[in-house]
Amino acid sequence: MRTLRGRALFFVPALALLAVFVVYPVVNTVWLSFFTSDGEFALLGKYAAILSQPEMFDSRGFVRGFPYGALVHNVMWIVIHLPLTAGLGLALAVILREIKGGAIVKSIVFLGMVTPMVVGGVILRFLFDGNVGILPSLLSLIGLPRRTLTAYPDTALFSLIIGSLWLWTPFSMILYSAGLETIPDYVYEAAVIDGASAVRAFFAITVPMLRPVTSVVITMTFLWVLKIFDIVYVATMGGPGGASNVLALQMYMYAFREFDANSAAVVATLLMLVALAVSIPTFRSVRGEQQ
Amino acid sequence: MRRKVMVLLLIVLALFSLTGLAADKKLTVISGWSGQEMDAFMPVLREFEKETGIRVDYQIYRAEDLAVLLPAQFDSKTAPADVIFMWAWFVNKQAQNGHVLEMTGLLNESDFVPGILDAVKSGGKLWGGPYTGKIKPGFWYRKSFFKQHGLAVPTTWDEFVDLCARIKKIPGVRAPIASGNGVGWPLSDVTEHFIATFGGPAMTRDLIAGKMSWTDPKVRAVFENRLVPLLKAGYFSEPIEWTMAADLWWAGDYALYFMGSWITGMVKDPADLGVFTLPGARGLVFATDYAFVPAYTKYPAEARKLLAFLATRGQTLQVAAGGHIATYAGAPLDAYPAVDRGIAALLKGVEALPDLDDTIGGEWQPAFWDQLKLLWVSPARVGEVLETLQRKAGK
Amino acid sequence: MRGTSIFARRKSSTVALYVAAGLAALIWLIPFMGVFMASIRPLSEISRGWWKFEQFNPTLRNYAGAWNHPAAPLGKGMLNSLRVAVPATILPLAIASIAAYGFARFRFRLRDLLFMSVVALMTLPQQMIAVPIYRIMRGLGAVDSFAGLVLVHAAWGLPWIMYFMRNYFTTVPIEVEEAAKVDGASDLRVFLQIVMPMSLPAVASAAVLQFMWVWSDFFLALILVYSPDRLLATQRVPLLRGVYHVDWGVLSAGSIIVMAVPIMVFALMQRYYIRGMVGWTSK
Repeated sequence: MRTLRGRALFFVPALALLAVFVVYPVVNTVWLSFFTSDGEFALLGKYAAILSQPEMFDSRGFVRGFPYGALVHNVMWIVIHLPLTAGLGLALAVILREIKGGAIVKSIVFLGMVTPMVVGGVILRFLFDGNVGILPSLLSLIGLPRRTLTAYPDTALFSLIIGSLWLWTPFSMILYSAGLETIPDYVYEAAVIDGASAVRAFFAITVPMLRPVTSVVITMTFLWVLKIFDIVYVATMGGPGGASNVLALQMYMYAFREFDANSAAVVATLLMLVALAVSIPTFRSVRGEQQ
Repeated sequence: MRRKVMVLLLIVLALFSLTGLAADKKLTVISGWSGQEMDAFMPVLREFEKETGIRVDYQIYRAEDLAVLLPAQFDSKTAPADVIFMWAWFVNKQAQNGHVLEMTGLLNESDFVPGILDAVKSGGKLWGGPYTGKIKPGFWYRKSFFKQHGLAVPTTWDEFVDLCARIKKIPGVRAPIASGNGVGWPLSDVTEHFIATFGGPAMTRDLIAGKMSWTDPKVRAVFENRLVPLLKAGYFSEPIEWTMAADLWWAGDYALYFMGSWITGMVKDPADLGVFTLPGARGLVFATDYAFVPAYTKYPAEARKLLAFLATRGQTLQVAAGGHIATYAGAPLDAYPAVDRGIAALLKGVEALPDLDDTIGGEWQPAFWDQLKLLWVSPARVGEVLETLQRKAGK
Repeated sequence: MRGTSIFARRKSSTVALYVAAGLAALIWLIPFMGVFMASIRPLSEISRGWWKFEQFNPTLRNYAGAWNHPAAPLGKGMLNSLRVAVPATILPLAIASIAAYGFARFRFRLRDLLFMSVVALMTLPQQMIAVPIYRIMRGLGAVDSFAGLVLVHAAWGLPWIMYFMRNYFTTVPIEVEEAAKVDGASDLRVFLQIVMPMSLPAVASAAVLQFMWVWSDFFLALILVYSPDRLLATQRVPLLRGVYHVDWGVLSAGSIIVMAVPIMVFALMQRYYIRGMVGWTSK
């Protein structure tokens, strides 16, 4: 049937499922965030209350060090992780393209991506353990004390960030690999004729031509970092003393440890707003396509 | 193609309906014991099976995880087991919401250590049964280690500090005292020992009841004058996964290990074990395990039978494995292995205290553990730690 | 395509490149090695470092222990994960592909707006639906059921699969479909008998990605499933740490077993996985 009703049926199952299991819960969560646990309407009151909790933002951190609060921890995570993952991914894509056996190394690097995050948390716990792990031993070779990095407030978060790099950089690498394939040979040939070196060509040609890829890498990485939960849950549970707490974990704590659905809703909605803001370039490009 | 997909879906969905096959009468017990602890518990269950003919299944679930899962299950009026071991405060809380089967009349108070049933009594009714308990007596050491290095058990605080200093100088020793870690409770055990010794049993009870603040100068004094200096001097190791810590301590990397009495059941040579309390200790934590029957059990009569068995004859059987101390008065002294008779003796002359964080429970307990993990690696932050503890206690 | 290999290269640069590649391989293997060592060697051997090989007594005991663990038998966990992952891949793929075709081919006023909304849903964190989903499932009596978890995963996968498939469909030349329509075929027949067979590579990519994501999921499973015998493989990993006793050996073996499935899927379907990742995010 090419009738209107027939065509509508194409969408019904998807939209129905989405409406019940995605749209309604999302709206419900936003709604919950406007109320206190006693049921009073507070609009942004709950937001103010939550944001002033030390679990979320701890200004004492600027005086004595970690914890700074889940909010600041997520910001740190993004600021450190984003450029590193983009840079490393690009570097790996370029290097592994040039050598023989690059494909094998790429598959090895892929171990990071294929690992379920829960297992990633276990791996990290191991990697940084003062007794069993290899990193503290390596660090002791250059004179640093050999200790479990995830047990100390000043190193717990950074350890996890490095671990998350191990898990996520393969993603950046494949995207850049694919992007590199799309740069036509003649562009480089022209550069050679102009007398450019490989390094100059990289910065003057490759990087600018990969800008769309970089934009995708940044967006997806940002979204991924915002949602990080599994690794922290398994490796440190946000400790010690909340030094590695992140928003997604804090939301879980509110919802399922303190049974405070409203506070959880506030954190979730904040996450959502940031996610939407970060995705604006994606929306623009989709709209561009449609026209 | 769509039809094939539909058929596939139907088959898959049909598979779901195969869950929940009917089973013949079988009780399920849940507790957090695994590994060696579980091996020690199974004979007790087997004995029940032999005596009553009712099959018993055992499943392991950590108390921290049960604390999250059980309320949700109880809300949907289901329960994962017929007898569940949990913290006493949790049992009472669930009883308040009507999720626990009442046990009043099942157990005779005079059969047990005085006051032991109080933890699971509320509203004048009994909601659970006690099982064995464990004492957290103090610092364990290997007698051979002490002999080898000419060390002696301290009788005063100064001798204790001295001992630590001497041990630290021994080559090959990483730190005098091994700090066990897990979700955090071994650290809380040590801390409670310091509180009971230098603050007294009254401080422990007041902190539990919320009558004293964690920021009270007397509490601060215990931390700042006793615990923190030891931490700052590096006499405690950084928190290590506690079973790994036990291995390392046994191998000689550490000299002292604060642990509960269950460690006697965990080492290769219990005869080499020695233990001393902090000099001047006036109270020791006697942590009892409690079990309850959820209201949604399918076999209430059988479950009650099992609970009663565990609380009485079960305890007598259990202590034979070592590392358990019975709360059942009917368990004779010769049911214990030799080492444990000595432990039971330690309780003489000091007050038996409840475990602080197990009793307060709630969300304060994991916060307590988390803050202690911080204190252990950053002892200078003691002031902030105490403030956070008080803030969370007030919630 | 020769890319930058067009440029002349000094020997030292080549060496540097190989060293860098070797370093990368090491960096990605070593963390994995640590866990692997812990899984096959007794804890006492590695308690001072797994790279010490003075004593080397490999054993598979930990794998057996993890598979049959009384608290968290991974054998059962893997089965449960399959019971969720397979339907949670098939169901959304079917539903989303149909809707995606509609977005690609039909013209109607609300189309663009609707599609943008779907794209927006794709960016949301799972935390946004956690509590209400739990309550909905409780209302439906579907808490702690695989069916409930499958439905949530299916619904959650719909936005990205719709985006992915729709992008793919727009690259399929429309002439074949138009020819069929001139012959009198209905929309549904065109979709099922012409477009889908041509789209199998894309379907394969989407299936691989969705399967891996559902398999690796922890958060939704944590919220919705808790009977000990219903736990999924990913949930059992943290549980392999007992209350009082953490057996690192068993924990590591368990982690490797759980990892084995995605690794196998990746090994077999690598091309589709990569195409999926690239295709989903770029054009």
